[in-house]
Amino acid sequence: MLQSTVALILLSLFLGCAAWLLFVWAVRRGQFDDPEGPKYRMLEDDDLPRTPKPPEDSA
Amino acid sequence: MNESSLCIHCTLPIPRGMNISHRDGDAELRFCCQGCLGAYLIIRGAGLEAFYARRQWVEAGVAPGSFEARFSDDALEECVSLQQEHSRMNLLLEGIRCASCVWLIEKIIGALEGIDSIRVNYATHRVQILFDRSHATPASIVESIARLGYLPRPWSARNHHLQAERERRTLLIRFSAAAFLSMQLMGYSAALYAGYFQGIAPQSRQLLQILSAVVAAPVIFYCGAPFLQGALRALRLGTPNMDMLISIGVLCAYGYSLYALAVGGEVYFDSASMIVTLVLLGRIFESMARGKASCAVDRLLSLSPQRAKVLEETAGAQPAIRDTPSHQVEAGALIRVYPGEAFPLDALLLRGSTEVDAAVVTGESRPVVKSAGDEILAGAINLGPAVDLQVLRRAEHSYLSRMAALVEDAQSRRAPIQRQADRISAIFVPLVLLLALATGLYWALVQGDTTSAWLCAISVLVVACPCALGLATPTAILVATGAASRRGILFRGGDIVEACSQIKTLAFDKTGTLTEGRPRILAIEAVGIDEIELLRLGGVLESGSSHPLGRAICEEVQRRGLQAPPPAGHLAIAGMGVEIDFEGHPLRGGSRRFLEDSGIVVQNLCGAEQTEVLFASGDRYLGRMLFEDSPRPEASSSLALLRRMGLHCMLLTGDRKDVGERVAQELGIEEVACELSPGEKAKRIQKRQLTGELMMIGDGINDAPALAEARVGCAMAGGTDIALESSDLVFTRPDLMRLPLAIALSRRTLSIIRQNLFWAFSYNLIAMPLAATGQLAPIYSALAMVSSSVLVLGNSLRLNRFKEPL
Repeated sequence: MLQSTVALILLSLFLGCAAWLLFVWAVRRGQFDDPEGPKYRMLEDDDLPRTPKPPEDSA
Repeated sequence: MNESSLCIHCTLPIPRGMNISHRDGDAELRFCCQGCLGAYLIIRGAGLEAFYARRQWVEAGVAPGSFEARFSDDALEECVSLQQEHSRMNLLLEGIRCASCVWLIEKIIGALEGIDSIRVNYATHRVQILFDRSHATPASIVESIARLGYLPRPWSARNHHLQAERERRTLLIRFSAAAFLSMQLMGYSAALYAGYFQGIAPQSRQLLQILSAVVAAPVIFYCGAPFLQGALRALRLGTPNMDMLISIGVLCAYGYSLYALAVGGEVYFDSASMIVTLVLLGRIFESMARGKASCAVDRLLSLSPQRAKVLEETAGAQPAIRDTPSHQVEAGALIRVYPGEAFPLDALLLRGSTEVDAAVVTGESRPVVKSAGDEILAGAINLGPAVDLQVLRRAEHSYLSRMAALVEDAQSRRAPIQRQADRISAIFVPLVLLLALATGLYWALVQGDTTSAWLCAISVLVVACPCALGLATPTAILVATGAASRRGILFRGGDIVEACSQIKTLAFDKTGTLTEGRPRILAIEAVGIDEIELLRLGGVLESGSSHPLGRAICEEVQRRGLQAPPPAGHLAIAGMGVEIDFEGHPLRGGSRRFLEDSGIVVQNLCGAEQTEVLFASGDRYLGRMLFEDSPRPEASSSLALLRRMGLHCMLLTGDRKDVGERVAQELGIEEVACELSPGEKAKRIQKRQLTGELMMIGDGINDAPALAEARVGCAMAGGTDIALESSDLVFTRPDLMRLPLAIALSRRTLSIIRQNLFWAFSYNLIAMPLAATGQLAPIYSALAMVSSSVLVLGNSLRLNRFKEPL
């Protein structure tokens, strides 16, 4: 009983940490710098496959 | 003005005599200039015509002719930096009006050779381009952007921008870590609470407690580092502040829990980390508001062009023209400004006369005639012919720069709520510490019981932990701002809600605030001909005009469904009027002086104080049209409601005395001050501020210093970006009825906050003595804390059901 509790708690911590690291990565890449644009960006249908990549760091 | 007289690309009216067209199958597309045709062909060539269908323009565009400027690689060098094998360039783009502009720029520029990546930030209008030096030069990229119809300006990242951005990112990371770990802790605490009431195996209990201690540690020492450092600084300086109270509360809760873990008591790791999380959330909101404000100052400075055309005297008859960065131009230099360009510096007009549109700078909605010897401010747009001017001041002393400095200054001076909170904590923190110390000493020395001494002292600190006290204000503010934004009212921060509730006086700007900011035809007085016929002739005369009065006439013509064919041969005289050849006679329309100068006898009509346009065909006087900038329909009912709420209203306007007084009388405003410059407005507000809190309501950049100077600055929607962002209270709808609503809501919020504070204080007053005397077991004090917080929250939520005052 106790062992399974420990295992589950550690698993949840591990999963949470992974999600958090993903978030940190996104913040570092500047994904949260422009809160206005993306909501319009999604409405644009991409018929041309040459959308440029966003810069690595937009500081 | 019909569809065919508008340019396909930019939708600006096509000037007389221009005949630039492009055949596309059967359709003939007409353009206003070669630039627009070029831009159209680029867009079409890239297969992106969808742009024309998807664009929705709400903001005014870039003035025609703004693209005359040439870009050289040297001038752009300052905004290019190296990043690994790429070069990076930052630009500020003018003319971005909607998201499809962003789409277009990214598609077209991104497809150019040598461009590695491009990203346009829609919120800040900044674009970042990574490119390869060997395939593209900065100037070629910038010119490609300019060819699309956007005005790029070099933007060199100043240090404080980068720092602010870095801070915002670390704050976001800290908060996310705190939020995630606190949620984990909540899970463990739920198990522990359940165990307390229903029984739990001591082994499991200890395991959960140890886990809580481990998980809470990073929240407090990593996420809470900003205020732990702040507390340390405060300690060194000897000035207790809110940071210190939070740090002591958090550290005590954590320290006591560690102690309890060792001796087998109840732990409070979850409340310690929850406090950290909530405080961090507040900081994120604050930094977001600040980032927006500094953005406004940047944009204000970018209004004036950064390059000037300097005239240099040469031996020959023609002076040479040299393109120079405007910050290098000394006072006294001669510059030339072409039609449609913005004036780069404050300057004196040397020869001739021209008409300037200073709407963005002074808020004056009508173009102003300037003749030799007049001063023209940087940022105004030249509507007339090319003119030569003498520079009066260096760029950093220009009117716009001083305005930006004023706004920045006023923004940095503002943190009254923070000071108040610090003042309270300056008393509260030492008091609590003293009480805890006294409790500990009493139990240790008088009772001789060391364990109880520790327990009671920490109990006092935990009970005093300003949970309900800390929640009292922010929750009420949060709910109030949410409820307000659903009704089209944006409060920029909690201190603004507080300030709004204390407002005694309202100062209104006239144009665009109390009135619609757009002239409309009030009356047509035709002499000898039909009223409709006069209107039609007016429409013919003004069909190519970009003058606000001309546009008002065209609107009226269109509204009545009249046909006004565009004439041939169109002669506009700056500030005076328009003359065309129509059916064999010269048809003239313009000011009284214009007609009298042309030798036409104008019959004297009464009521000359209104804005008017007179018409004549040949020598025959045809009549006149009267214009008025009419008050908003809801203005008088809104002002009546505000007066019922006990507020004093005043009108501050830069307009003429008779106009200002007429509007004031119509709306029942007691106090009027006319013919004020922006500086005088700000000064007057400063003076009035001494006798009571004041709110300024306005729009336009000329109001920006006054908006910033007033205790609360309020901007109506439809105003300029700068005014919107330098103000504290923004209405998303141009509706004056929002104003009484905002004030009533802020008053209600403050009364809720007072109730919350009263409850939180009385909770502390009752609980602290109990804790000090050892009557309150930690688990019951925790329960008391939670229930008091819930009570405070519930009270704040009542603001959601706020009724509009009517």
